[in-house]
Amino acid sequence: MASRLYDWLDSRLNLKPVQRTLLDEPIPGGASWIYVFGSVTLFLFVLQAATGMFLAIYYAPTPDHAYDSIRFIETEITFGWLVRGLHHWGASAMVVAIGLHMLQTFLYGAYKSPREAMWMVGVVLFLLVMTFAFTGYLLPWDQTAYWATQIGINMVGTIPLVGDFFSRVLRGGEVLGALTLSRFFAIHVLFLPAIIIGGIALHLFVLRRVGPAGPWADDRASLSSETFAPRQVYMDAVVIAAVFLLVAMLAFSIPLPLTDKADPSDTSFVPVPEWYFLFYYELLKYVHGPLEPLATWVLPLCVILIMLFWPFIDRNPIRNPIRRPVALGSGLLFLLVVFGLLGISIKQLYAVPRADPAVARGKAAYAQFGCVGCHRIHGEGGAVGPDLSTIGDTRPDRAWHLKHFRDPQSVTPGSFMPKFPLTDQQLNDLTTYMLSLKRAS
Amino acid sequence: MSHHKLSDHQPEGGFSTPVGSRRTFFQWMTLAAAGVVGMGLAIPLLGSLISPAFTRRRLAWVDVGAIDELPAGRPTQLDHVTTTRDGWMEAKSRKAVWAVKDPQGEVTVFSPICTHLGCGYRWDDAANKFLCPCHGSSFGINGQVLGGPAPRPLDRLPAKVESGRLLVMYKDFKSGLAESIEL
Repeated sequence: MASRLYDWLDSRLNLKPVQRTLLDEPIPGGASWIYVFGSVTLFLFVLQAATGMFLAIYYAPTPDHAYDSIRFIETEITFGWLVRGLHHWGASAMVVAIGLHMLQTFLYGAYKSPREAMWMVGVVLFLLVMTFAFTGYLLPWDQTAYWATQIGINMVGTIPLVGDFFSRVLRGGEVLGALTLSRFFAIHVLFLPAIIIGGIALHLFVLRRVGPAGPWADDRASLSSETFAPRQVYMDAVVIAAVFLLVAMLAFSIPLPLTDKADPSDTSFVPVPEWYFLFYYELLKYVHGPLEPLATWVLPLCVILIMLFWPFIDRNPIRNPIRRPVALGSGLLFLLVVFGLLGISIKQLYAVPRADPAVARGKAAYAQFGCVGCHRIHGEGGAVGPDLSTIGDTRPDRAWHLKHFRDPQSVTPGSFMPKFPLTDQQLNDLTTYMLSLKRAS
Repeated sequence: MSHHKLSDHQPEGGFSTPVGSRRTFFQWMTLAAAGVVGMGLAIPLLGSLISPAFTRRRLAWVDVGAIDELPAGRPTQLDHVTTTRDGWMEAKSRKAVWAVKDPQGEVTVFSPICTHLGCGYRWDDAANKFLCPCHGSSFGINGQVLGGPAPRPLDRLPAKVESGRLLVMYKDFKSGLAESIEL
């Protein structure tokens, strides 16, 4: 049936040459699992596009509805949490896939002549993906999104002469607000997709004009070739399916953090950027005073320019990595710095919450006694009793909590909170947990 | 990099592309992988798309007042605040209902919307009937049509009494029909 339909179309549209062009592309040295990263990145782009379109069905890009519409997707829409989870983890997976793709290209010296243009278009694609990540991060309009974006835009503001102009254009005015959210939304879902599709097409066009680089063997003439289909297609497809299952597993098992709704007046909130911006966040901690612009824009600009023009900086025609120690050494140094900063940052981020095990035990007791049925913490739970998100600020008195847990009516007459059968240990743990619920996270 | 020197590689024009059963295996694996990804995406994406089409609006009992304060035999308009949900938007809106307590203490609650074209009617003490100002429909104290273009009696709302409070489930109905159909 399918083959008859194909023959019918082929007799009219002459499809065979198209099929040959798409599937019989020669791969020097044969198919390999190391060549899958480009296809994986392309797949993840399609995944992001598809899940993004379906999220846009429910998302409202205004400050008064953005947060509620995300919460609506998470709680009211069948599979909404999964679609959002796939989009969230898909973004992270995309950054990893591009990183591996660039690393493979770098190791194999595949950016060298005649493939300089492919590398440069690739670097632009990488920058576009990071812009996707930055603009998408604001859209949930929660505290983290708001304050992380605030910092990002302020960094742009440190560029001399043009910084103020650029940061105003990014925000759509003086302050981060409704105009910022709607332009970030438009950039994220309309402008960037249009631009990146052109970039991807150009990247693939260059690939098909110069052909894949293949192994770094010095005598390329001795290499036997293999067509793209079926073996490379099979390898790409298997890894793509594995990556999809991994992303789906993350979406299933790790609930997405949605902090409180953005509150422009709460300046005590300490935002944390996504992990792929963490190394840079860490770097900024070490540079202060007159040197700060160096880290906020001089260094990033230099790194981007070096990346972009790398094929012209490294003019050594040899591709074998063992025989180009300088290039390999500088690449390794760059990765060491980036991952070193990332490591330090992650270590510090996770050092704080582990400080007091009583908080964790209190949290467990909170869940055990079903407190969440009446009380809300950071948007989670019922609205019958008071919201406890910042109870540590509003009621910092430990004795009050202890008394209240033993007999709520004794300190709050008329309260209909029941007396729970708490052990002394649980009483203390719950109180410690309550006091830990403060504005500054 | 691995160079597979396999027996069924048949170089055709310089290529070492697999043929025969090996080729079929790669094609089937590719199809299987595409199937996994395709179904894995299609189910949640389409599921999320059609999800709200089949979600019934959740109705809640709303406290509209104390049963003792209702005068027997005389319709009373009771105002209350109800939370209406429209997607992710939640709005508090004021709604009114008409409640009638008969001498035995049984309470009937009417939707405040005329069944003709959706105007708000009122109780006329002198005429002893409900009058709609728009097109002159009139209804008796039990909601039956007494005159005018109204196609059906006033719509009744579910009501119950719990510890002395009157609880009502507010609903909207299609106007202009002979039958009472919930919106």
